[in-house]
Order: sequence, then C-alpha cells, then structure tokens
Amino acid sequence: MSSRQIPRHTRAGIFIHWFNAACWFFLLATGVALISNPELNPLGAWYPKAVRAVFMGGGNLLVAHWLVAFIWLAVWVVYLFWGMNRFVAPFLNSAFTIEPNRDIQWMIKKNLQMMVGYKMMAKLVKPLGYDGTMPDQGYYNVGQKLAAQGLIFGALALVGTGFIMFASKYFLTAADSWLVQWSITVHFIAAGVTTALLILHIYMAAISKDERPAFISMFTGTVPAEYAKHHHRLWYDELEDSKPSEVG
Amino acid sequence: MMAKQLGMVIDADSCIDCKGCMAACKVANEVPGDNWRNWIKDGEMDWNAKGKRRMVFQPGNCMQCDKPTCVTACPTGATYKSKADGVVLIDRGLCIGCGQCIKACPYGARYRNDKLKVADKCDFCRSRREVGLEPACVSTCPTKARAFGDLNDPASPAGKLYAAQKDKAVQVVNAESNTDPNIYYLGAPGNKHWPVKAQMPSAFTFWKNVADPGVKVLMGLMGVGVLAMLGKQLVMKNDAPEEHHGEDGHE
Ligand code: SF4
Ligand code: SF4
Repeated sequence: MSSRQIPRHTRAGIFIHWFNAACWFFLLATGVALISNPELNPLGAWYPKAVRAVFMGGGNLLVAHWLVAFIWLAVWVVYLFWGMNRFVAPFLNSAFTIEPNRDIQWMIKKNLQMMVGYKMMAKLVKPLGYDGTMPDQGYYNVGQKLAAQGLIFGALALVGTGFIMFASKYFLTAADSWLVQWSITVHFIAAGVTTALLILHIYMAAISKDERPAFISMFTGTVPAEYAKHHHRLWYDELEDSKPSEVG
Repeated sequence: MMAKQLGMVIDADSCIDCKGCMAACKVANEVPGDNWRNWIKDGEMDWNAKGKRRMVFQPGNCMQCDKPTCVTACPTGATYKSKADGVVLIDRGLCIGCGQCIKACPYGARYRNDKLKVADKCDFCRSRREVGLEPACVSTCPTKARAFGDLNDPASPAGKLYAAQKDKAVQVVNAESNTDPNIYYLGAPGNKHWPVKAQMPSAFTFWKNVADPGVKVLMGLMGVGVLAMLGKQLVMKNDAPEEHHGEDGHE
C-alpha cells in the first residue's frame, strides 16, 4: 500500500461535490415525478403518484423542486464568486483544454480497455498505429473532461429552462407560452443527458475498481502518489516540479 | 350505477342572447380582462324554422369532455378529469402555465389567466358547488336555457332532460377530434362546425416522438455499456501490464 498521499481536492471542492450530488439526486427524483402524463411518464404512473403522496400533492412537489433548485443555485453562485480564482477558473481551464491527438487516442484505448481488458486492447489498437500504453493525462483524463463539459452545459440548460418555467407563473404572459412549452421539453432532454452522464460517472467512480482511489479522494481529499502517477501523469509531473498546488 | 358525470343539457331555443351567464360567470369566478369562461356563439338566422324566422344562439363553455385533449396535452397532470364527478379540473399549484392544454382544446374553452398566471377555464363553478350552489350561469339564466347536473342521475335537472331526449340531444364537435363532450344541445343550436381539430403543441409532439425515445435509447446504451464493463470487471482479472500496476495493486 502506497503510504505517500498527495492532495487532490480541497475541502470546498469536496463540499460542493457532495452538495451537488445531493441536490441533483433530489432534483432528478422530484423532477421525474413532476411528469404525469401517460404519453410521457418515464417510469410509469406509479412513480409520480407515489412521490406526490409523499409530498402531499403535486403543488407541494413543484415547490420543493423549486426550493432545492434555488438553494442549489444560490450555493453555486456563492461558490463561483468566492472561488473563481482558486477553484473555478482552474477547473474550467482543465475541463475545457483538449489535446486532440493524445485525447482521442486515450478515449479509444480506455473504452476498449474497459470492455475487453489491456491485452486485448493492445492487440486491437495495433492496426491504428498505437502501442498498448495509455497516453498520459493531466488533472482530468479526457473522459472526465468530456463528462464535465456535458454536465456544465446540461446544468446551464437546466437552469435556463427551469427559470423560464418558474417565471411562467410569475412574470410571463400568454404570448410567451411557446417559450415555456419548449423549456419543458429542453429541460427534459438536458436532464436525460446529464443523468446518462451521471450513470457513467457513478459507475466509474464508485463501482469500477480502476478509479477507486479517485472515489476515496472525494472523501479524504488525497490520492496515492502511485495512482496519480499512472492515471494523471501530466498532473503528477507538474506537482513533482512544483510544490503541490490547490486545484478544484 | 354509472359514475357521476356532471354536464349540461342546453336548450338553444330558449337562449335569448342576453349574455347574463357570461357576466355572472365573470363575476363569480373573477375572470380577468379579456378572458371568458363561457360564451354565446354568434347567432345566425334559422331559415328553416317553421313559422316565423328567428335568430338562434348557442351558449357554451368547457364541455368536461370524456376524452379531453386538454388532459392529453398537459405534461404535469395539473389538468385532470375528476373521478368523483367527471369535471375536468386544473390543479393551480401544479400548473406552470405552459399553455399546452390551451392549444389542445378544440373548443377554445381555456385561457391563460393573466392574474393567476396559470391555465383556467370553466369548472362548473367548483367553489359555488362546494357550498351547495348551482353554477352561476345556470342560476342567472332568465329563460333557464342551461340545465345542469349529473347526466347519469335521472333525478337531476340535466339528467332528467338527457334521459328523456337522448335521441334528439346533439353534441357540438369536430369530427376529426371528437372529445365526447358532456354538453348536449336541444332545439336548434345553430353553427355546429366551429370547433377545430385538436392541436398538440409542437414542443409536446417533439418531446413525445423524439426527445422521450431519444433519452430512453441514451439511457439504455449507457446502462448496457456500464453492465458490460461491470461484467468484464467481474469475469476478467486485472490484466494491466506490470508497469501500470500501482503499489496498491491497482493499475
Ligand atoms: S372542452 Fe376543452 S378544456 Fe374542456 S374538457 Fe374538453 S378539451 Fe378540455
Ligand atoms: S398550462 Fe395547461 S398543460 Fe400546462 S401545466 Fe397548466 S394545465 Fe397543464
């Protein structure tokens, strides 16, 4: 067991991660229950019925959904302003920096490796001119980066359309109905896409053995140096070259 | 015994177009601005009437349909048909005022309430019924053109007429989207062809036909992918090359 641990997440980062997780789960669970139409019910009629019973009515359920959405948003706004330089900008920077050659190769290899193992992957990528080793990755690997991008755009779409639906009951007029109608549809799509990404994220983090140290670091804030070296070599080298810096 | 279904049997011949029902409804239900819960369709000359020619009028309001397209279009279930009395109701707390139901009603019976910012329409004066009163339009009609009550109860004013005149009573519908209304007309109701074809909003059809299957496919693919990876993890031992093994035994 590696004894040397290196810092990966700050306490603020860990807090916002789990706060996010709790809010998203609640918003997903209540949001799906807000759809009660036999032609659209994602899970069937029993689900909205059961959840509405818990909240003692659909109206209360809607208010609860809004309430948590606003709390979620408010905490995020504070986090964004307070942590802009320390956490947010570095996070966005690493999440949106893509190096096509390295990253495409990583995506192909990682997917194959997850499905068929290293040995098979090495054989399969040979015709592409690749060897069987994983290209080095930075603080985030490209899978994490793409997931982060998807989640960021998904969240922006959810916030925008969610706000329009909320505004419908307080500010908008009959002339804006089309906007509200499309907001519902886009809200649904954004929720669907982010949920799909979250399924993958949760699998990779909590179930897949490969990323177990990353999962543990979401509680402890640190990862074993060896894990960092093999999974995030570029980041590891950076750390070795300088003193450990705080990144999101 | 059949389920309770509140409805109206309207004797169009009795209507004198005084619009008392419209005024009474607006006051009783605090219907704002340009919105109306009920109407008298413009009179037309009944050239076929035996004896003296005269104008005919067609009073109406939400028809509390048996197959309400407004309910079909509502995503949240805020618009629903009450099991207790068959009236189509709106849960104002749950309604987000998206207006899909407004577009979907072939009779234009719904409006967006500018004050409440939700969909609104005739509910047979729910609040008055709760205290034992008749709908305001029924109480106020000087000629008693509107008979109201449980259509399945021969003792109610509407039920009595309905039972007696079933064959003669007509529904005013659009043939392409017959919602099976619970408002029946006796006499000569005039223009029967004003209801339009029910229109589902494009955002709704896109959701139903594209977004919903799309999201389901995406979830399915993700689920299959994750299961495949899990299966591989359970079946295959870690075959990572040596240089990829960490000190803790993981890659
Ligand atoms: S008349 Fe229109 S609003 Fe009333 S129940 Fe029928 S479809 Fe719905
Ligand atoms: S406006 Fe109509 S369709 Fe939209 S939520 Fe309200 S009742 Fe349902």
